[in-house]
Amino acid sequence: MIYKETGQYKSSYKSDHAIFPLLQDKIAFSTLMFIAFLIIPFVINSYWEKAILVPFLIFSLAAIGLNILTGYCGQVSLGTGGFMAVGAFSTYKIMTSFPDMNIMIIILISGLITAAVGIIFGLPSLRIKGFYLAVATLASQFFLVWLFNKVPWFYNYSDTGQITVSERTMFGVPVTGAEAPSYATYLFCLVLVVVLSFAAKNLIRSKMGRSWMAIRDMDIAAEIIGVPPLKTKLSAFAISSFYIGVAGALYFAVFLGAIEVTESFDIMTISFPVLFMIIIGGLGSMLGSFLGAAFVVTLPIGLKFLMVDMVGLSAVTAKHFEITIWGLLMIVFLIVEPHGLARLWSIAKEKLRRWPFPY
Amino acid sequence: MSLEDLKKIPYGKTAIELKNISLAFGGVKALTDVSFDVKKGEVFAIIGPNGAGKSSMLNVINGFYKPTSGTINFAGTDRNEMEPELAAKSGIARTFQNIALFKGMSTLDNLMTGRLLKQKQNFLMQALYFGPVAKEEEEHRERVERVIDFLDLQSIRRTPVGSLPYGLQKRVELGRALAMEPEILLLDEPMAGMNVEEKQDMSRFVLTVNNELKTTIVLIEHDMGVVMDISDRIVVLDYGKKIGSGLPKEIRNNKAVIDAYLGVSDD
Repeated sequence: MIYKETGQYKSSYKSDHAIFPLLQDKIAFSTLMFIAFLIIPFVINSYWEKAILVPFLIFSLAAIGLNILTGYCGQVSLGTGGFMAVGAFSTYKIMTSFPDMNIMIIILISGLITAAVGIIFGLPSLRIKGFYLAVATLASQFFLVWLFNKVPWFYNYSDTGQITVSERTMFGVPVTGAEAPSYATYLFCLVLVVVLSFAAKNLIRSKMGRSWMAIRDMDIAAEIIGVPPLKTKLSAFAISSFYIGVAGALYFAVFLGAIEVTESFDIMTISFPVLFMIIIGGLGSMLGSFLGAAFVVTLPIGLKFLMVDMVGLSAVTAKHFEITIWGLLMIVFLIVEPHGLARLWSIAKEKLRRWPFPY
Repeated sequence: MSLEDLKKIPYGKTAIELKNISLAFGGVKALTDVSFDVKKGEVFAIIGPNGAGKSSMLNVINGFYKPTSGTINFAGTDRNEMEPELAAKSGIARTFQNIALFKGMSTLDNLMTGRLLKQKQNFLMQALYFGPVAKEEEEHRERVERVIDFLDLQSIRRTPVGSLPYGLQKRVELGRALAMEPEILLLDEPMAGMNVEEKQDMSRFVLTVNNELKTTIVLIEHDMGVVMDISDRIVVLDYGKKIGSGLPKEIRNNKAVIDAYLGVSDD
């Protein structure tokens, strides 16, 4: 009875097609936005920023990107780390070449560059599907990381091969570099994530999203109704890479500040975790991208808290346990709920609708 | 050839003409020298025993298969082959023998995909989703709702089609083809696996589409009762060859057709 749509009539197709058609959803979303924009910035501290909120926002963006490609368009990709590296290095190159450019513009251009790279690596998808495509994108991961490692031009011939961010400001407040206050980096990421999430949701609920899903579900039938497979798959690669590129740019410029490509954009640190996020969260679900990112970002912290602070294990032992438990949870999760957290949420909604009645 | 050319053709005149179509997959000859024409506004049936090449014929018409030889005259223009996308743009829609719906999407979204070719807004506008895009969505939604009304699909609007029963899936697939507002509708066994009532419903839908919207219908069907009742003209294929064509009553008495279906006695 809590979550009931009874009595909420839609008198136009527009209101029926809204992102949050139900009043309860609207209230919940507004409350969330209120807390995110008007309460958290005042109470945030460095720990919450660096350990939870900023990585959560950045990985949500990457998860949305991969979900567009894999969840909505059905093209499996293991190249997320490589594409995030493209975003990061584009940001670095633009930043050092144009010292006066606004950071927001730099990040968006980095996204566009990643989109272009994504299109190139998406070309094989026209011929190959499924596991074979996954292997092809895996090649892009290794190639891109190798490229940024071996060609000194990308890291401006620095001795260490590291790239380091310089300070940039928005409205007079630094958002990158060591001096940036916690609330600034958090808000900067939050604004980008909210705006880009709405854009993604809009794409998904209009022509573009339906073309992607048509290709995902039955490419032959899609062709018959006039969906061009080439254009549609490449558009998914481009837009997905744009999101992943922006996530990579934020990961470098706002979150880490200094990176070394083989370490930061490795397949084990980025590509697989982001894939886990969308699988745990729910393939083909916007909500799932966020839930998955939240789960993957907070799980290690929760486990560490449990084992080191509560049980009293040493940090090293806890780390080993963490990896094991992580793998175990992954398997359990896939068996118990293969459709992810988003599916659990919709089951919960169904229950709330009927509560307290069992039928 | 284009949708406009097709629209200009008067009813009762030839819309598609297939001339000496042959199709071979390696050594397997699926079609040999088949010729027939489909007139605008009629219900045209292709029948024949299993493996006769009926589905291959439809696949040639909408460009899935490229014929080995022969020409397709579509709305006055000769072509050697069609392209699926071009066929869709020129007003040809089709359904499949073994349902080809988008299983993860709702009935409504499946039908909305039928409108994709007619939606013109670019992706940046879609991402912003304001003014023109919202208006366009609503326009197409309204068209789709008419199809939903016609086919009685209101109650399953939001249901993912993968979980619908077979008969309804067939109906949704017809709906998706109708949402394209085609000039020519290719139906590959629309009544396969249905019970009598479902067949009656489906026949009614097909006839209404033909009568009210004047859509040309090319139909493959095994139920002879249905075929004889609803089609204007029939062509019969057997082993990839045309063995007869004409009005239903002519086909019924055609010796070659009866032999193909019932077999020939040895003596």
